[in-house]
Amino acid sequence: MLNPIFWIQAIGLALSQIWANKTRSFLTTLGIIVGVASVTAVIAALIGLKTKVLTEFESFGANRVFVFPSRPNNAPRNLYPWERIRLTSTDVTAIAENCPSLRAITPVTEIGLSVESNRERLETVNAVGIWPDWHEVERRAVIAGRPFSKVDIDNARQVCLVNESAVAELGLPNDPTGEHLLLGGRRFLVVGMVETLQASIFGRSVQQSEIFIPFSLAEKLQERNFFMRITALTRSPELADEAKSEIRYTLRRTRGLEAGEPDTFQIEAIDQYITQFKALAAGITAIAGGIVGISLLVGGIGIMNIMLVSVSERTREIGLRKAVGATPAAILMQFLLEAVTLCLVGGFIGVAIGQLFAFALAKLPQAQLEQAEVPPWAVLMSFAFCAVVGVVFGMFPAIKASRLDPIDALRHE
Amino acid sequence: MLIALRDITKVYRVGVEEVHALRGVSLSIGSNEMVAIMGSSGSGKSTLMNVLGCLDRPTGGDYLLDGRTVSAMGAGELAAVRNEKIGFVFQSFELLPRQTALQNVELPLIYARGAGWGRSRRRRALEALERVGLANRVTHRPNQLSGGQRQRVAIARAILNRPAILLADEPTGNLDSATTAEILGLFRQLHREGQTIIIVTHEDEVAAHCQRIVRLRDGRILSDLPVREDSAGRLVDEVEARLAATAAAKAAAC
Repeated sequence: MLNPIFWIQAIGLALSQIWANKTRSFLTTLGIIVGVASVTAVIAALIGLKTKVLTEFESFGANRVFVFPSRPNNAPRNLYPWERIRLTSTDVTAIAENCPSLRAITPVTEIGLSVESNRERLETVNAVGIWPDWHEVERRAVIAGRPFSKVDIDNARQVCLVNESAVAELGLPNDPTGEHLLLGGRRFLVVGMVETLQASIFGRSVQQSEIFIPFSLAEKLQERNFFMRITALTRSPELADEAKSEIRYTLRRTRGLEAGEPDTFQIEAIDQYITQFKALAAGITAIAGGIVGISLLVGGIGIMNIMLVSVSERTREIGLRKAVGATPAAILMQFLLEAVTLCLVGGFIGVAIGQLFAFALAKLPQAQLEQAEVPPWAVLMSFAFCAVVGVVFGMFPAIKASRLDPIDALRHE
Repeated sequence: MLIALRDITKVYRVGVEEVHALRGVSLSIGSNEMVAIMGSSGSGKSTLMNVLGCLDRPTGGDYLLDGRTVSAMGAGELAAVRNEKIGFVFQSFELLPRQTALQNVELPLIYARGAGWGRSRRRRALEALERVGLANRVTHRPNQLSGGQRQRVAIARAILNRPAILLADEPTGNLDSATTAEILGLFRQLHREGQTIIIVTHEDEVAAHCQRIVRLRDGRILSDLPVREDSAGRLVDEVEARLAATAAAKAAAC
């Protein structure tokens, strides 16, 4: 219908109209500018806040996910025997391979064993079977020596890590690497030392001696249907729900559960903090959205007003364009495009100002929003909103222009 | 026939009153004619021009333009007909003030169906400007041009799409007599080149340049005569003499 020259010319015309009436255009788009600048600034601030809060949550392990075996409620024991519901290394391998939301994962199983060093003997110590990811998941680093390697795990080598309490209790040197321990009568090489957990906000304080051995070895040392659980870390605290559903899907498939059958496991995540924060953020977003909505409405009315003025100022031009063959649709498009262009120019200025606000927020030390930034989607969304405002509020003047009678329009003084 | 009007009527409603602007006009105009439509104000000549120019639809009657029944068309189709078949020249030029002469001339191509790209478009506009003798004013804006030059730009715009009819509404109403002669000379030149021209005017002197004069009164055709048989015909010799004098003066100046 309308040829490409029309579009190029119409956009050029719209820009030249805006340029020819600089002051008027600027004042008209002020509403749009304020609206877009404030929405970009608020989004930037929220992103800064979110990054900060999420980092803080991560520091106390809010992005951990736990998987336990669990018998379905009210299900008869003979239908779901322990052998069927217990977690296995097949389960944990499947989860590790199929859940992209997870950053780290480890199976955990505990065995009580006697321990003997050159100097001391302890009757029962908790020996924990783990994967190397355990350190990341539990945020307990290896402070001397090295963590387990792939070879240790694959070959179930008789190596172990000890914590600081165990070093003290067993009278090992400050760096216990290279020492040997008798664990349940077997000789283990100590490869490193793990820091003792000080006090966790979940009320678990670890002061007693702990010894860690490769999970594959712990598997061998236990009876057939031993108990194990899985602890994993999501890539971000926000991903708890996604991680849960990925794990659930993977486990149900691995275990061959039919549709309609209940889960034979339970997945828990500490996500109530995230949920609370999300509610707070949603509240802020809603308030900001309301303010932005109002300023865009006001801005839109300004646009409509100025477009009506423009239509009546240019009545003769419209008449002439119609006389040389412009269809009503072409006139409508021209004025609509002009309104949209005006709004987009306003949006552009608004985004630029919002960006400045974001920089200022990030630099301001009291605000503590170092991560404040305007994400690309917010910029795109702002432009989309501006275009919508242009179309909505430009429509009435454009329709008015398109319906002008060419004869009356040409006679207009 | 290029144009065939059959029993055209046009009724306007002003408040409760009905105004009969045209009361049954039948008119045929052939290709390459140069016709003046005359009448005092209120005679219906503007309405007739609007109908001829497809700006307005008649209340009754048929209008055949170049073999197509225009009187039955909708707004979109009429716009296309105006774009392709009709070139308008107005009393007050109607140029877009911020655009150059060339851009003003190009305007109809913007609304053309399947117009060519940049270069061919530019070439056509330049050709049209050349035909009206303004090849050296291409980048001037209307406020940098004299009245006569502005009207020439408007004429270039009108002939750009090689229209079936060049329709001029009081084309010299805003011009002094020397410029009027110049513009009418241009119309005659275009006419010699084969252009069909209809000039709406109330000045005998302007009408004397045409071959045929249609006079309207009270919405009806009063007379439709070759120019020599019309009362304006007595001016023809005078007009020819003045045109010859202008041409001679121009030749002497060069």
